[in-house]
Amino acid sequence: MAFYDPKGARAGVRAVGGLEIPVLTAPRLKHRGFLPDLLNGLGSLLAGMRVTLATVIRPSRIVTRQYPENRATLKMYERYRAVLRLVRDGQERHLCTGCRGCEKACPNGSIAVETAKGAITGKNELQSFVWRFDTCTFCNLCVVACPFDALEMKGDFEHAVFDRRLLVFNLNTYAGPHAALWDKVEGEEQRARLAQKIGPYDGPVPLNGAQLPGLPARATESGGKA
Amino acid sequence: MSFLGPAAAVASPPAAEVHTLATRAVEALEVGPLEATLYGLLAIVWIAGLLVVTGLALIYLERKVAGHFQCRLGPMRVGPHGVFQTLADTVKLLVKEDFVPDRADRVLHVVAPFLALASTMLLMVIMPFSPTLQVADMNVGVIYVTAISGFSVMGILLAGWSSNNKWSLIGAMRAGAQIVSYGISATLALLVVVLFSGTLRLSEIVQSQADGWWIWRAHGVGLVAFLVYLVASTAEINRTPFDIPEGESELTAGFHTEYSGIRFAFFFLAEFINMFLVAGFAATFFFGGWMPFHVGGFAAFNATMDVVPPFVWFGAKTCVLIFVIMWFRWTFPRLRVDQLMRLEWKVLLPIGFVNLFAAAFVVLYGFYFFAGP
Repeated sequence: MAFYDPKGARAGVRAVGGLEIPVLTAPRLKHRGFLPDLLNGLGSLLAGMRVTLATVIRPSRIVTRQYPENRATLKMYERYRAVLRLVRDGQERHLCTGCRGCEKACPNGSIAVETAKGAITGKNELQSFVWRFDTCTFCNLCVVACPFDALEMKGDFEHAVFDRRLLVFNLNTYAGPHAALWDKVEGEEQRARLAQKIGPYDGPVPLNGAQLPGLPARATESGGKA
Repeated sequence: MSFLGPAAAVASPPAAEVHTLATRAVEALEVGPLEATLYGLLAIVWIAGLLVVTGLALIYLERKVAGHFQCRLGPMRVGPHGVFQTLADTVKLLVKEDFVPDRADRVLHVVAPFLALASTMLLMVIMPFSPTLQVADMNVGVIYVTAISGFSVMGILLAGWSSNNKWSLIGAMRAGAQIVSYGISATLALLVVVLFSGTLRLSEIVQSQADGWWIWRAHGVGLVAFLVYLVASTAEINRTPFDIPEGESELTAGFHTEYSGIRFAFFFLAEFINMFLVAGFAATFFFGGWMPFHVGGFAAFNATMDVVPPFVWFGAKTCVLIFVIMWFRWTFPRLRVDQLMRLEWKVLLPIGFVNLFAAAFVVLYGFYFFAGP
């Protein structure tokens, strides 16, 4: 059995393939006879018991959260991947250029991006960004792939619905150019004609603008209520 | 027991008179057979009720303690702080399908859980909860305790054998080897206390500790005996870190792999009651059982301690020891089979023997604290 003596551990450097790797070397624990070994073992058992007792007598260390009672005070982590969203600037405009990088990066085809040439800008503009919440595995690859940082995975996790079709929806709230392109267009009148509002269940999604009678739609942060 | 010398001269304190249910039944026999039978029934109800209530409480406690050891809360949903969780689980187990494998030995498979529980119930009979709350108090109490706790291996062996399952069989064989081996050390540790108190009767062992508990009265010998008993008995009841008979990672569930429903519940119940028994016997032998905490010479302090009823003293000591056993479970990793055997035969057994000899010398020369007037 390989027991090592942590007290004799020494930091050193070992040359491996031209690199100097810092290593920690510890000598084998020596057998020092029946009684010393026994007392040493008892000591380490007691040390372990002290560690676990320290956890028990500090209830503040408990990580369990009583959901849904704590719904009002519940705070999710910064990096929690709840839903895919389009990043918006201060004026609620998305940053998506419609390059389809996320669509290609998606491992199971949960993203479908539709673009069209804009009449005013003459550039590719996002028409609909359809995300399949029901098949998404929240791997975050689309967010990583996006060259314009136009996607994020964040937010709330309560998204239960009574119909699966409600889980396929648009992330964009309007069909039109991204924020930077928008700013290049001159004239108020021209700008007003840039965007065409769409709801989360409009366009090439299963519901296609229809509503399910008696079923409440998803309350989404990305698209708002239909 | 006069050959034990000074030990025989242990001060017999003016402690509460032991009045067991068995003696009451015998006394009632003079009034009539019906009265005696009623006492017998009372004893049965007491044991059965205690078995169920302690089982439920201990399982709940274990889950709570486990939760808090792991920064969790444990059961919280069924009832306030989840107190009815075990009850709900018991109902679930009761209504589950009672499954017997195709080529299993049907009779043995059915009998095994009852055997496992039977040894537990038999041990419950002799447990001295308080001077008046003990079903039977026999003059060979210690021998009875060791014999019956060795008997518990029968249920486990039969369960593994009758299941017709390799894992069950391996688990049962491991349990057999383990219980038989560690029973020796546990007995050696108990013999130390027998040497000091000069009696095999549990109530007298408790009464011999009126001036001080054997764990510190015996000049270190008692402490070593207690530690040996704690380790050996933890192994005897198959608790972690000695739970290789179950060994989830290697044997799925060991001897009760093929058990479901109420039969599984019986094994589970026996396991938890055994923990209570081990803690209770450790309290009885080393911590004075139902005796209040007394310090020699401090009459006022001793009188204050006497206010607390003996039952509470026994319960408190047992609870602390149960917590220690649970604490073991959530701290130590499981031992390998060979390590387990080495610990018993190469470490615990020599220590136990040396300790027994040392105890004999201590007793011979009356070399212990508060030796009495």
